[in-house]
Amino acid sequence: MTQPPDLPKEAGHRLEQLEHGLFTSDLSVNEFLLIKEAGFHPLGFVMGSSIYHTGIQARRWNKSQELTKLTEAMYNARELAMTRMEEEADALGADGVVGVRLDVNYYEWGRDAAEFIAVGTAVKAEDGTSHRNALGKPFTSDLSGQDFWTIMQTGYVPQGLVMGTCVFHIAHRGIGQALGTVGQNVELPNFTQALYEARELAMTRMQDEANTLGATGIVGVRLEEKSHQWGSHTIEFLSLGTAVKKSAGEVTLPKPTTVISLDN
Amino acid sequence: MDEPGRPDGDEGAEGDLPEAAGRRLGGGSFSSGLTVPDFAACLQMGLRPVGLVQGFCVMQWGWYGAGSPYMRGMTPYSFGGSAPRGVYSESYRCPHGGYVYSNEHRIWGQNYQQPWVESAWGQGFGSAYTRLVEEAQEVGAHGVIGVVDSTRHLAEMNVTEFHILGTAVVVEDAPAPGGGTPWTTYLAGQRLAKLVEAGYMPVSVVAVLASVRVWAYCVTEMLMEGTVSVWGSGYLPVSEIEQLSRAHIAARSLAREHVRGQLGTDDLQGAQIVANTQRLSQGDEVIECTLRGSRVRRFKDFDPLPAPRPTVRLS
Repeated sequence: MTQPPDLPKEAGHRLEQLEHGLFTSDLSVNEFLLIKEAGFHPLGFVMGSSIYHTGIQARRWNKSQELTKLTEAMYNARELAMTRMEEEADALGADGVVGVRLDVNYYEWGRDAAEFIAVGTAVKAEDGTSHRNALGKPFTSDLSGQDFWTIMQTGYVPQGLVMGTCVFHIAHRGIGQALGTVGQNVELPNFTQALYEARELAMTRMQDEANTLGATGIVGVRLEEKSHQWGSHTIEFLSLGTAVKKSAGEVTLPKPTTVISLDN
Repeated sequence: MDEPGRPDGDEGAEGDLPEAAGRRLGGGSFSSGLTVPDFAACLQMGLRPVGLVQGFCVMQWGWYGAGSPYMRGMTPYSFGGSAPRGVYSESYRCPHGGYVYSNEHRIWGQNYQQPWVESAWGQGFGSAYTRLVEEAQEVGAHGVIGVVDSTRHLAEMNVTEFHILGTAVVVEDAPAPGGGTPWTTYLAGQRLAKLVEAGYMPVSVVAVLASVRVWAYCVTEMLMEGTVSVWGSGYLPVSEIEQLSRAHIAARSLAREHVRGQLGTDDLQGAQIVANTQRLSQGDEVIECTLRGSRVRRFKDFDPLPAPRPTVRLS
């Protein structure tokens, strides 16, 4: 095994053990069974991490604007964590990583620094066919074992966990603006447009990533919002989903069977 | 167009989508907020996702309706109940003979509907909904499934944000929509499939708010505080607080009334009624009741489902 240059030595040792047949995974028993049923075998629990200093960026009190430096920082940090996780999966010869979780942790010892961590279970097709994505890398996906089995039945295959982020500063209202609408419940078009634009930018970037992978679509899109440590007027809009590609050939989906559970 | 929540005569904000929305919706791949099981069920039904569509509206938010035709003096309706016709209001008088007057002893109280709050909520929800529909039209969708809406109060900015999200779909092998309004529904996946099997088609999502303000009079306030007065030593027994009960009943009843006004001859499926109470100060509360569901219309007779197969989980 050739160890990627930016992974720690301990990672290399752990991955070597995994190459010898032992596998680790955070899959539940049901997930494990369905991954096997879909024709894949878990290779090992893989992870990537990056501690990133997010710094500060000047913002105008009365102007809604994207804080591009912070957007880039949040994007790069997650990308580094994801890339390292992909490198671990690549080192195992995996076709993909399922059940990916992407978290951000803050520690007391690092002001303005955050740890971005990506974890998941590397899997490989049992029949030896390659399921790597258009870039030749293992696919990544936040789908559970059950969802992975289901998506494979529909004729779509995961291509990658795609994301888009946008850190946006929402302007404060001036005294004149506030006085003009005192006591009224009315739309504030500037706020609407600012929040709308920020979310759309995040989603557009996510979609751009999917297009790079040659995906047909993105399933399970989530929109998350966090102010992290920047105060209430600065918000990160993060859009996440699994890019999927339609495989060749028509798939006839079975009609669902109605069941009645006899459990309590 | 069926626009849930929008007050009559309010045309809303059409054609005001941000530039980024156009860029995103014109992209090569679709995005979908559906879970994988719902996505699979959607394909099985012959619906093809074409994009995640959304709408927003940020409203300045307060409880007092300055400039509202309903506002008269300190309270919206003068003591004794002179609310406009069709607006809920009822008054309560102190039963203690008027001998115990003080700042701590409220000799009158009132429950009253806040139509200006309901109207503002309708405007916010309606504007966000219109934008969601505009995005769906832009991608040439027949409908929007799996709609999710949320209302968030950003206290520090004194604003309330309305957000509606859904997955736009086209019906496979169906003619392109001829510029009509896409249908919308909170349902997705097997729940939507079963609805169609039952002979109903989705029309639109419906959501309304009923807002009732409670100004407690002496008896209500004592019961809410649990003591006879601020100096009182005796604790009151468990008993119904009639003014609050009636306010809660009125809020739920008004919400149902508002929804009926939007349904016409159609039915409401999957209705969810949620009531929240917010305390503004001692003896001053707002009860807000939201009622949302999917407006559906019968288009064929019910197809009987096959007999279910009994199952037992091994986990």
